[in-house]
Amino acid sequence: MREPLVLSTQRDSPIPSSVTDPSHGSPPAARLSQERVERGLFKVSDRDAVLVARTLDGDLGAFACLMARYRDSFGHYAFHMLGNREDAQEVMQDSFLRAYAALRRCRQPDRFGAWLFRIVVNRCRTVRRRLHRDWRLGADLPDNVPAAGDAAAALEWREEIARALARLRPRYREAFLLRYVRGLEYREMADLTGANEPTLRMRVKRAADRLRELLQDVHDG
Amino acid sequence: MSTPRTLALRAVWLLAFAPGALAAQDHRLTERLDAATAEGVQRVVDSAHAEGLPTEPLVQKALEGKTMGATSGRIQSAVDALFGRLAEARAALGRDASETELTAGAGALRAGLDAGSLRQLHALRSDEPLTVPIAVLTDLVAEGVPPDQATRAVLDLARNGRSDAEFMALRKRVQTERRRGASADAGPVVRPAAPPAADPPGSP
Amino acid sequence: MDERHEEAQDRLLGDIVAELRRPVPLDPSVDSRVLAAIRERGAGRRRWIAGTGAAALAAGIVLALVLGPWPSTAGGARQVQLRLAAPASHVAVVGDFNDWDPAATPLRPTSNPGIWTVELRLKPGRYHYSFLLDGRRWVRDPVQPPAAESDFGTPMSVLTVS
Repeated sequence: MREPLVLSTQRDSPIPSSVTDPSHGSPPAARLSQERVERGLFKVSDRDAVLVARTLDGDLGAFACLMARYRDSFGHYAFHMLGNREDAQEVMQDSFLRAYAALRRCRQPDRFGAWLFRIVVNRCRTVRRRLHRDWRLGADLPDNVPAAGDAAAALEWREEIARALARLRPRYREAFLLRYVRGLEYREMADLTGANEPTLRMRVKRAADRLRELLQDVHDG
Repeated sequence: MSTPRTLALRAVWLLAFAPGALAAQDHRLTERLDAATAEGVQRVVDSAHAEGLPTEPLVQKALEGKTMGATSGRIQSAVDALFGRLAEARAALGRDASETELTAGAGALRAGLDAGSLRQLHALRSDEPLTVPIAVLTDLVAEGVPPDQATRAVLDLARNGRSDAEFMALRKRVQTERRRGASADAGPVVRPAAPPAADPPGSP
Repeated sequence: MDERHEEAQDRLLGDIVAELRRPVPLDPSVDSRVLAAIRERGAGRRRWIAGTGAAALAAGIVLALVLGPWPSTAGGARQVQLRLAAPASHVAVVGDFNDWDPAATPLRPTSNPGIWTVELRLKPGRYHYSFLLDGRRWVRDPVQPPAAESDFGTPMSVLTVS
C-alpha cells in the first residue's frame, strides 16, 4: 500500500534575533508534517530512502513524491538566486531530470534532499540569468501578499530586495542565501560550494553589508 | 547483473556526475576535428576544467577555426591563447568571477585592453557582476574608440555605481554617433550622460 | 550610539531575511513535465537499444541519448531576429550558438529582394558570429558591433543578448 505524500518543512535557520517566528511563512501542510514527525509516526529522512528505492525499482510515482517534497523548498532558493520564477522552474526541472538520471549515484538515499540541493546549487550557477529585469509590479510575488493597507509598501519592499539581490555578485548572493535563507552551517556551505569557510564568511558579510547599504533608505523611509 | 549496456550507461553517468573528474570527452571535437587536433584541444579543455576555468569557449574556438578552414596548428594556437587569456582574466577579476565574466574578460584582453583595466573595474564594482561593463568596454574599442578613452568612460560609470542598463546606453550612444559619421575621438560621444537626479521608477 | 546603530542594522538585516524566507511556490506542472520527459526518454532508449547492436554503444552516442538535450522551457531564452541585405542565393549564419556549423542555421528570403532573415532563441550572453554567402563569402553583421578579435581572419560580429 502506498504511503501518503508528505511535504517537508524548511529547516529552522540561525536568523537574526529580530525575526522571532521560526515557522514564519511555512505553508499549513508543511507544519502538519512537522507535527506528525514530532509524534513519531514516521521519520522524514526514512521517507526519502524509501522513495528513492522505489524510484530505482521503476516507480515513477515515488519520484513524483520526491519532486513534490522538494520543488517549492529548493525552488525558493533558485527563485532568489535567479530573480524570477521562469528561470527557477527551469532549474528545478533540469535538476530533477539530472537527479533521476544519476539516482544510482546517490550514496545516501536518506539524505536525498541534500544531494538534490547540491545539483540545484550547481544548476543555478550555470544558468545564465536575464541581465535586464522585467519590473512589472507584482510579476513574481508569492501568493501570501499581506493584508491591504500596507500592500503597496510591502510590494515596494519586496521589489527593492529583489533589485538589491540582483546587484550582488552571484557568489555573494549564493553565500548569503545559503547562510541566511537556507540556514546552512559554514561547513555545509563549504561542502556544497567548494569554497573554504573564511571565503564564505567574507562573501556572506560583504553581501549583508551591501544589501544593508542598498536597502537602508527604503527600509527607513 | 551488469550487462554491457548497463556498464556503458554507468560510465556515461560517471563521466557526467563524478565531481573532480576530467571534463567529459567532447564529442563535437572528435566528430569535427582530425584525431590529433581533437586530442590537443581536449587536453587544453581538461586543463581548463581542472583549473575551474570555462571550457565551452575553448571548444567553440576550435570549431570556429575548423569552419574557417584554419590549419591544425593555428587552431591549437588560438585555443592555447584563449586558455591563457581566461587565466589572465581570472587573475584580474578574482576567483569569484563567473564564467561569463571570465569569457568577457578574455575577449577584452584579445581586443587589446590590458588586465589593469579589468582589475580597476573589479575594484570599483566588486560586489556586482561585471559582464556587461566588460562587454561594453570591448565593444567601444571595437567601434574605434581609443582604449584609454573607452576605459575612462566605463570606469566613470562603475565609480558612480551605475547600472548595467546605463553601460548599454553608453554603447548605444557611441554606436549611433559612429553611424552618423562622427569621429570616435570626439570627446562628447564617449562622455557618460549626466547622472539622473533619481532613478526613474521601474529601473533595475 | 554604536550599539543602537548595530541594533538598527541587525533589525534591517532581519527584515530583509524575513522577507526572503517567505515561500515562493512554483508551478506544480514542473513535476508533470519532468515525468513526461522521463517517460519519453525511457521509451526512446528502449526502442533504440532494441534496434542496434551492443557494438554501437559508444559513450558519445549514449551520452547524447541519455543526458541531453532535455526538453527546455522558454525560461531565460530570448527571441532574436537577424536581418541581412545581401546579393546572394543562399545565406547562413554561423557562430557560437550553433557550434559554427554552416549548415545549421540558414536565413530565409523575405518579400523584399535581397533581404534575408532568421529568428534565433538565445539565452543571455555574448555570441560571436558571421554570415556565409553562397557557401564561400564571409560578411559581418553591419548592425552589431564588430568583434574586436578575429583569430582566423574572418569578418566577425558580436551579439550581446540581455
